Amino acid sequence: MVSANDVVKRFTTQAGELDLFQQISLQIRRGESVAITGPSGAGKSTLLSLLAGLDLPSGGAVELIGYDTRQLDDSARANLRSRHISFVFQSFHLLPELSALENVRLPLEIRGNPSADNDAVRWLQQVGLGDRISHRPAELSGGEQQRVALARAFATTPDILFADEPTGNLDESTGSGIVEQLFRFNREQNTTLILITHDHELAARCDRCLHLHQGNLEERR
Amino acid sequence: MRGDSTLISPPDTRNRHGLLWRLAWQQSRSGLKQPQWRALLLALLVAITLATLLALLGNRMEQSLQRQTADILGADLVIRNSRPLPAEYRQQAGQLGLQSSEVIQFNSMLSFEDQLLLSSLKVVTPPYPLRGEIVTRSDNNHDLPQAGQIWVDTAILERLRAQPGDLIQVGYLELQISAVMQSSPDRGSGFGSFSPQALISAADLEASGLLGPGARVRYRQLYAGEQDTLQQFEQWLKPRLQSGERLISLQSQQNFSGGALNNAASYLRLGALLALLLCALTITLSLRRYTRSSSQRAALLLSLGLTPQQLVQLYLCQLLIAGLICALPGTLLAMAAEQLALGMLADLLPQPVPAASLWLYGSGALLGLMILLTLGLAPILSISRVSVSRLFSQQDNATPLTGRSLQLLALAALLGLLLFYLGDIRLSLLLLSGLIISSVLLAFSGSWLVQQLSRRLAARLPLGRLLQLRMQQQRRWHRLQIPAMSLLLAIAAIALVSRNDLIDRWQQQLPAQTPDHFVVNIQSWEQQPLAAFLQARQVDSRLYPMVRGRIGALNGVTAADAFNPQQRKHNALNRELNLTWGAQLSDHNRIREGKWHGAEAKGEISVETEMAQQLGLKLGDQVSFNIAGQTVTATLSSIRDVDWQSFRPSFYVIFSPGALDQLPVSYITSFSTPPQQQTLAADLIAQFPTLTLIDIRQLLDQARELVSHLVDASGLVMGLTLAAGLLLLFTSLTQELEQRRYENALIQVLGATPKQARQLDLMEFALLGMVCGLMAAVLAELALWPLYGQLIRIEPELHPALWVMLPLLATALFLLIGLTGRRALDQRHCYRLLRAG
Ligand SMILES: Nc1ncnc2c1ncn2[C@@H]1O[C@H](COP(=O)(O)OP(=O)(O)OP(=O)(O)O)[C@@H](O)[C@H]1O
Ligand SMILES: [Mg+2]
Repeated sequence: MVSANDVVKRFTTQAGELDLFQQISLQIRRGESVAITGPSGAGKSTLLSLLAGLDLPSGGAVELIGYDTRQLDDSARANLRSRHISFVFQSFHLLPELSALENVRLPLEIRGNPSADNDAVRWLQQVGLGDRISHRPAELSGGEQQRVALARAFATTPDILFADEPTGNLDESTGSGIVEQLFRFNREQNTTLILITHDHELAARCDRCLHLHQGNLEERR
Repeated sequence: MRGDSTLISPPDTRNRHGLLWRLAWQQSRSGLKQPQWRALLLALLVAITLATLLALLGNRMEQSLQRQTADILGADLVIRNSRPLPAEYRQQAGQLGLQSSEVIQFNSMLSFEDQLLLSSLKVVTPPYPLRGEIVTRSDNNHDLPQAGQIWVDTAILERLRAQPGDLIQVGYLELQISAVMQSSPDRGSGFGSFSPQALISAADLEASGLLGPGARVRYRQLYAGEQDTLQQFEQWLKPRLQSGERLISLQSQQNFSGGALNNAASYLRLGALLALLLCALTITLSLRRYTRSSSQRAALLLSLGLTPQQLVQLYLCQLLIAGLICALPGTLLAMAAEQLALGMLADLLPQPVPAASLWLYGSGALLGLMILLTLGLAPILSISRVSVSRLFSQQDNATPLTGRSLQLLALAALLGLLLFYLGDIRLSLLLLSGLIISSVLLAFSGSWLVQQLSRRLAARLPLGRLLQLRMQQQRRWHRLQIPAMSLLLAIAAIALVSRNDLIDRWQQQLPAQTPDHFVVNIQSWEQQPLAAFLQARQVDSRLYPMVRGRIGALNGVTAADAFNPQQRKHNALNRELNLTWGAQLSDHNRIREGKWHGAEAKGEISVETEMAQQLGLKLGDQVSFNIAGQTVTATLSSIRDVDWQSFRPSFYVIFSPGALDQLPVSYITSFSTPPQQQTLAADLIAQFPTLTLIDIRQLLDQARELVSHLVDASGLVMGLTLAAGLLLLFTSLTQELEQRRYENALIQVLGATPKQARQLDLMEFALLGMVCGLMAAVLAELALWPLYGQLIRIEPELHPALWVMLPLLATALFLLIGLTGRRALDQRHCYRLLRAG
């Protein structure tokens, strides 16, 4: 599904050049759930962007669903995202002027899905918000907002789901509810789940746990 | 590995456009909560309103003023010559569907009982006049004098002491006065145009025997019709014109009204341009802000699978929606304002005011949309390049979006826009580079100045340290804001100052003391008594000696060889010029090159600039004149600008004193009638019956009326530009205030009182206002020079008052906006704001 070969990322900043990874390689197969852990600033989010094809490696190669990300142009990557990939973010990122339903429907419409409405309602019911479909994000709690974001991510039934600290902004019990949903989706749809977390318990529930530290990625088990 | 990107076919695109439009609509609606989007809409609305209004008003006013000029001319187009004009011209005009008429004008003596008067006779055939009308004292049932009749100016009646119905002697004929004209168009050119005029029928011309050999006769053909047809006719005519034939069109007419009309039209164009620049500036700033604040959202849409191209389309749709939303109200507002303006000018403009062409009603909306899309392209392209990874980070660290290439694109777009509007590549480039250079200079010098000032103030003011911190933190925005605000203020200042100067200039040309009478044909022996007569009545005047002569040779080479064929057509070689001499330079003359000869020099001349240029005369040239059979040679020692519109005796050539003493001379003078001496002219004629008195009061009245129209019209343009400037200043600054809310929340949470936060805002604004005002004064002053020289064509000068007033006014204005536009923050609100980030 996703693989990295000797990946290096270099940022040019005012302070000079910053090499983030020391030739990282990894292989992730379909249906796997993978946790990426590591101290803050280690480059977890950067690695995620590379794996999701949002950013390109400075050296080495990333292969995403069979495509070398460097060979795809912007719109091809956008179409790849639209068809195969979803994201869940730490700070939800819902469109404030749209209702929960409209937010969930959006990626479906971008794909041109004719039954967008039905699917969106179904997924909102799935995450337990069937009675909140016409609420705006401002009228929902943080946990509820994140569940709308989950429904939005699930709605396109992606092959890979990337999540960057999906519970980072939530309290423990709300967070664990979100986590349950994620793992259930991972099992039921056979979707690859790649998530960044600081939570060791959560990491331990994943099939694999990759620890990023000083530019190196080590498999922990 | 599948490396071929074409394998990833885009998903089904059927509903995509509907989706983009819907998203765009939602964005433009939810954007209403954001000050930057509101500011953008407002600026766009103002741009559309102003552009439409100025296009409409400009067009209709220009048409009316042209019609008014036409009324003075009696036609839209005139050809004149001192020989009869070919009938072929009128035939062609007739085929094109133009109206035409023919006028013969010459000076002739009129007599009634024992009174004699030199007047200018016009022989006319109907239709006449083609534009304007002859206003007669009492209604008469004929359009023009019939055979045996004569129509005379009021002045003729007064001087001849005749009554309507009297028979007066014209050449061999006795003609009956059948109408008295209070005003009439088509006065002709030269001194004939100032003389009292009379109209006679063509039927009487031959019998009068007035057109004997040697008579100085002017022939004119008048034309009127549709502008396009006239242009077509002019095209046809120009290559066919023979030497001596001159074409006078409304645009080319370089008398007082023509000049004033031209610089008023330029002012209108300038006002429109300035107003549009103002709006473009606000739109650019708001767009930048808007796209910056939308980058998070754009990243999200990209993460959901929208392609960058679709994102561009989405934002273009949104701009299009904004354009459409503003188009109708903007156009309607413009039409309402147009009605208002025309109402204000109702008794000044000839009624009915000509209608504007239909497409002008849509022109503002079109232009607004073009401005929006061209200015929007760069920020939109930059937002489509936003990185989705930014969604992973917690805060919205808005990184600068615009790259070099996009900035270049924005500039190219702006250039295109200017080019479209100005239609002149050189001017557009000049304006654009001026804008860029001044913006960059303003950005750096302005923010430097702000930093310096706040550093100085840090120790002295209670909140000085905080202010300094604030200034440092806002440096980036200040670098953008200061040039924008300064430009805004400068543009407003330019609109204001240039109008004042323009009015001054017009009024200077027509001061209260403008001479309203010319006296010509004063013989040497009458010089002293006349001067004494005028002095006794405290009338200020100067008698200029005058001889007639033509240029015979240049530097010893005869004129035929010294000048090229083009130059040989010049009046100075063909007709006798009026030459004068004197030690003193009148104040409507200004030396451009060389040195005024003064009282001491011998055998020197001063030549008018345009004549010197046309004949290629240079300082030091030996110019020989044939005067009354003698040759007088003199050295060209100065070249002079002459204000021909000053209504004072003006000369192409002025000799040093003594050079022409031996020649037969007559004198000329002009004077202004003091208000309490209305009988002056009549007294003068009574005492000096042989003098020719020329009354130009009617002409002056016409000119004064024109000036008052122009003052009103330009005031309207200026008022609108200023209002737009204020509106945009207000919205820009309230945007600034919104931006400060987060920071204010922070310092209030950290312990500052709301009052202190408010003081901080106001201090920042005052400082900004002062610096922007100062910068604007410099900028306006710098911009006025080329503007005056190139566009409005009036003399540049410095405006010291501006240097003081503008910074003060700007400070006050910024403070006022800060006071009214600022909303207080309570503690609860602070917390919410901070949490929302
Ligand atoms: N666009 C960029 N330009 C320069 N440096 C960057 C850029 N993006 C990330 N970095 C740097 O790379 C490093 C890794 O950043 P990243 O956001 O990937 O860390 P992280 O592991 O996700 O941290 P956290 O757990 O706090 O989210 C940081 O030191 C950051 O400053
Ligand atoms: Mg991170």
